[in-house]
Order: sequence, then structure tokens, then C-alpha cells
Amino acid sequence: MSRSSVLSSARSDSASPRTWRLIESWDASPEFNMGLDEALLDDPGAPPTLRLYTWSPDTLSLGYFQKWADVPAAANAATVVRRITGGGAIHHQAELTFSIVLPQTHALFRDPVPLSYERIHAALIAALSEFGVEAALAGPGGLRSDREQTGMCFHASTPLDVAWGTRKGAGSAQRRRGGRVLHHGSIKLGSTPLEGEIATLEEFLPAENVVQTFAAALLRAMETSFAVRFERQEPSAAEQSAARRLGERYSSAAFLHRR
Amino acid sequence: MRPDDRHYLPSHEWVKSDGDTVVFGITDFAVEELSHGNEDDLVYCDLPEPGRKLAQGETFGEIESVKAVADLNSPLPGEVVEVNKTIEDHLQVLARDPWDKGWLIRVKPDDTSTSHLLDAEGYEASLGKADG
Repeated sequence: MSRSSVLSSARSDSASPRTWRLIESWDASPEFNMGLDEALLDDPGAPPTLRLYTWSPDTLSLGYFQKWADVPAAANAATVVRRITGGGAIHHQAELTFSIVLPQTHALFRDPVPLSYERIHAALIAALSEFGVEAALAGPGGLRSDREQTGMCFHASTPLDVAWGTRKGAGSAQRRRGGRVLHHGSIKLGSTPLEGEIATLEEFLPAENVVQTFAAALLRAMETSFAVRFERQEPSAAEQSAARRLGERYSSAAFLHRR
Repeated sequence: MRPDDRHYLPSHEWVKSDGDTVVFGITDFAVEELSHGNEDDLVYCDLPEPGRKLAQGETFGEIESVKAVADLNSPLPGEVVEVNKTIEDHLQVLARDPWDKGWLIRVKPDDTSTSHLLDAEGYEASLGKADG
């Protein structure tokens, strides 16, 4: 499928809502970040939502099926959570996370899973191009950033990841439940000790306001790619309450050590 | 047409009678949705232990492909009596044959009513529904 047809198939459905809610959560706790994503996933009445968020404190998140023992960094990390999406571990430092929550029947998600990745990552690639980043899908054959036995997501590339300079710089994971989809995405803005040798935006964006600068570009790209308009809103009181309640388990010993 | 010897959930699980038990699985559509034709893209599957009691519609496990984690939902209530250990270790079996060798769990049902489930024709029709 050509890039243009991948994009057009995400926006050609006339029944898919054209206005999405945008929730920004800067320096939010890991439990709140995870809890709010789950609350939105399990609420069939929630409007189409894009979240952009950063984490405080810096956090290591493990994938849902990932074995604790396969992530050496987990034992020494100050703050660790386990996600409900799959994939490898991510160090949420110098990084922007986004989540998209929609019904599975939405044009963005109704086709096989890999096509949804192509559509979303096409928007990421468009945003990156604003800063002169020549990003593309990684394709087969691996990347120079691949490392064995770290358990880190950015050290284990797949063909649908976003890469520049032959290194992985953005990746995604999904959870599908109850006819709805939660899509997580992570873009590395700077390097961290746990994720050496990966692609970052350090050489492309000034350090000052890097999160806000890239976030604005990402919004522009998604508005164009998905033919939507974003309305900034805060989560409702009920959503915030659900986020706090659901968020508790993400850092619990039982959940962290489920595998 | 998908097999007409079983019933279906809209979320792509199937249930088939086998004596006094029933067998659960997922459809080729679900497999294709997760793996897009690449059988190695199915990477993990968590299934319940025998003895677990399931309610109708309850999530009894999860399956992960390279790019998504999806819930597995119970078409009927009952008690798990057997788990397909083969596919837990070799998910390619599920990818290659979701209708027979790729079965997931065997359940002793509390209720065998299928009125809430789709027959093969109804499941096919559900796949063709657009976003409303």
C-alpha cells in the first residue's frame, strides 16, 4: 500500500468524528498517565482522544508480557510501572509519549493492526520532517541501535518502527479491548543512559522547549494526516477519579512481577 | 464462509460443542488482524489454568502480536477443563490453523444456550459492518 493511500484510508471514512479531544498532561505521575489511558480505553462513551504527556519522575515502563528478569535496568530503576500495551521497556526521560484511544471500528484502526501503525507513524514522520529529520519506517533487516539482552524497546526494532540515521527513534504499542483501541507512542527527544545509541532529536531541535516544539508539530501533522481538529480539554472529574483508582496497580509489586 | 459447526462472538472468538464440553478458539479474522499474514508476529498467549470458572463474556486470556495485545473473551460460562499447551509454546499453530489445531481452551459449560451468539452467517455479516 503506498504512503498516500495509507494516509487517505485513515481519513476517508465520512462517519468518523472530525473533532478529537486533546488532553495534555505535562510532568504527570506514571500512575496517572497509565490510569487515564486505561480509563479512556474502557469507557465506550469517551470521545476520540489524543493525549500528549511526559512523566515525573522519570519512569521505566515495562511491556505487558515482558518478563521482569529480561529487563536488567528494572532492578535498579527508581520508578517502574508495567503498561497494558505490549513491547519492550521504555525509559520515559527526555521523551514524549502520546496515546490515541478510539473505537476499533474507526477508520484508523478497523484494518489489520500493522496498517494502523503505518498510518500513525506516517504522521510522526511528517512531524519530524518539519525539523529536517529524514525519518522513515525501519523496514526489515534491523537497525544500528539494536542491542541484545537489554529488554529496552528502542534496542529491539521492528519493521514498522520509525527510524532516522539507521537508528530507532520512535515506536508504538497497542491494547485492544472491548471493541476499543489504545495506541501508545514514544518519541525520544534526547538520549538517556538506559537507551544508548538510539536516534533522538537532540541535533535537530534546541533543548529549550523541545517538548512543546515537537508536540506542536505532531499536532499539525496529525490534523493533516487524519483530517481532524483538536480541542484542548481537561479530563472530566470522573475520568480523573478513574485514573487515580486504576493507576494504583501499575506500580504495584503484583503487577510489576506478574511475569 | 467460516465454519458453520460453531458459534461466534463479534469480538472474533468461536465456541464449538464437543460431547459434554465446548472448545473455544479465535477466528482467522482475529489472527489476520493481529499478524497481517505473518505467523511469527504472534508472540505470546496467556491462557487460564484448568479449574478456573468463567462467566459469559469474561476475559479468559490475552494474546500478543508484535504490535498489539488483545483480550480473549468467553462465549459461554463454565469451568476450564483443558488448555491447549501446544499453542502456548508454538503460536504458529494458531496462526496456521485457528479452526482445529489452534483451539485455545476446553470448558465444561454451565449453560449451552447460544442465543446471544452469532452463527457463521451472522459472524460474516458482522465483519462487513462499517463504522456508524
